[in-house]
Amino acid sequence: MSAETSESKFSNYGLYTIGDNLELSLPNTEIRIEQMGPNVFSYIRNNSESDLVKKIIPVKSNELTIEISPIRPLNYPAKRTSYVYLELETPVFLSENSAATIFARCPIEIGVFLIHDGHKDSLDCFTCDPTNSRFALYGAPDSGTLCKYAQSEIVESYEDSTPYINAVLEIHLQNELDDGRSISKIIFPISDNSVYYKNSKAIIDSIEAVLKKKLTLQIFDVSKKSIQTDWTLSPSYERELIVKRIDMGVD
Amino acid sequence: MVLDFLQGLSEIEIAGSLTLLSLLIGGIIMAVGIILAKTVRLLFTKYYAPKLSQDTAKNFGKLIYFGIIIISFLVFTSSTGVDLSGLLVAGGIFGIVIGFATQSVVSNLISGVFLMVEKPARQGDSIELPSLNISGTLLDIGTFSVRIRLFDGTIIRVPNESIFTSTIRSLTSTQVRRSECLVGIAYKEDIDAAISVIKKEIRKTMSFVLTLPKPEFRIKELADSSVNIEVLVWHPREDWGEVSPKLLKVVKKALDDNGIEIPFPQRVIWDAKK
Repeated sequence: MSAETSESKFSNYGLYTIGDNLELSLPNTEIRIEQMGPNVFSYIRNNSESDLVKKIIPVKSNELTIEISPIRPLNYPAKRTSYVYLELETPVFLSENSAATIFARCPIEIGVFLIHDGHKDSLDCFTCDPTNSRFALYGAPDSGTLCKYAQSEIVESYEDSTPYINAVLEIHLQNELDDGRSISKIIFPISDNSVYYKNSKAIIDSIEAVLKKKLTLQIFDVSKKSIQTDWTLSPSYERELIVKRIDMGVD
Repeated sequence: MVLDFLQGLSEIEIAGSLTLLSLLIGGIIMAVGIILAKTVRLLFTKYYAPKLSQDTAKNFGKLIYFGIIIISFLVFTSSTGVDLSGLLVAGGIFGIVIGFATQSVVSNLISGVFLMVEKPARQGDSIELPSLNISGTLLDIGTFSVRIRLFDGTIIRVPNESIFTSTIRSLTSTQVRRSECLVGIAYKEDIDAAISVIKKEIRKTMSFVLTLPKPEFRIKELADSSVNIEVLVWHPREDWGEVSPKLLKVVKKALDDNGIEIPFPQRVIWDAKK
């Protein structure tokens, strides 16, 4: 997917090769890239709150190639955690020893990557939904886990992601306990999950969430499950870190 | 010729069995000890310290350095045949005098050791010492004192003993912190409506305020001129500066935008004759 040029109007994620200038329009956000002189481009992004980001990009050739892609929702308003707290708008009830698979929305941010010599460098990142990009604490203030918080709607399929605002991930739910339970929230380290895109839609690696017993405790064990897809893999914006998994308690 | 020179040195006695030659050998032992101590500390700092926490690495570095120096000194005294026991006995009374004079120094030294063992705060932590009225970032726990960078950018040195006997409030040991502010609304205003608009404004404009635990609103006081509402919000510990100093401004804006009165102090004068 390569959109050559000056007159391209943003419509999708993907690669953009800029010779002269490019204007991209996203929800609440506009990006303008212009050639300032030989081998020098300027990158300007502004949003509906009039926040302005401006960068000058020297390049080796007369063209600039960038990739716009969905990334994990960990960088706005600041990188503070690798965990995501999804509160399901409609809780799912699982009877004893049963399982279900749902598709749920998960927020994303947008990453802009500069492509040169086969490398993808993180140039900028932002969210098109700043008022819903918030933190939450899972657990007590003295020992809890800081997470990015989002209310998550259960949807029908991968095609139901909202462009530039959220992606869809598949969640395999399983209840190995002896009684029925409602599942209303899922907390997991999203830094393990890859993000994929096609046109303006995005999906995230699946997760498996199992209600089970660990010694005498009842826990909600959440783990990542990679998906096989022909959608394009988004580059990683943040530095890869090893994140410790936490055991969620059962409500 | 060299042997003759050394033979000459061994014959020159300085005191008792201490000769110029043994003093020279002792000097060489001490010099080698110091060089070895510095080299080992350098290698430790380069290869092992990055795997340890900053303050542990620093303490281990000091331990290695001074450990090698002390061993070198003991080798030096035994090689020169110097008997320190006489010195210790002779210095007994003098030692008591010195002991009294250096009481605070020793106290700081011992407090420093306990601080390193107990670790009430780590290097880089933000701490507050309420009794000393000090708040800042802990830079270093030294042998005799602690260095703290205050939030105004200046650096203060506090004796270890003062730190050890003070109440220490750690501002960074948990992931989240709470900030509060107090605002008064007029008695005629609807309290629930005021809380609702403040809640909306915080949600809209303060991106570092946590969604969970939710912002909390407490009716603090039915005061002389206003109903005082306390607003309590949680935020990531690093973002105190993005929340606490701005909270009152956001609350005032929410009330102003919605025409909710923040009253001035008022007095109702009742005339009994009318």
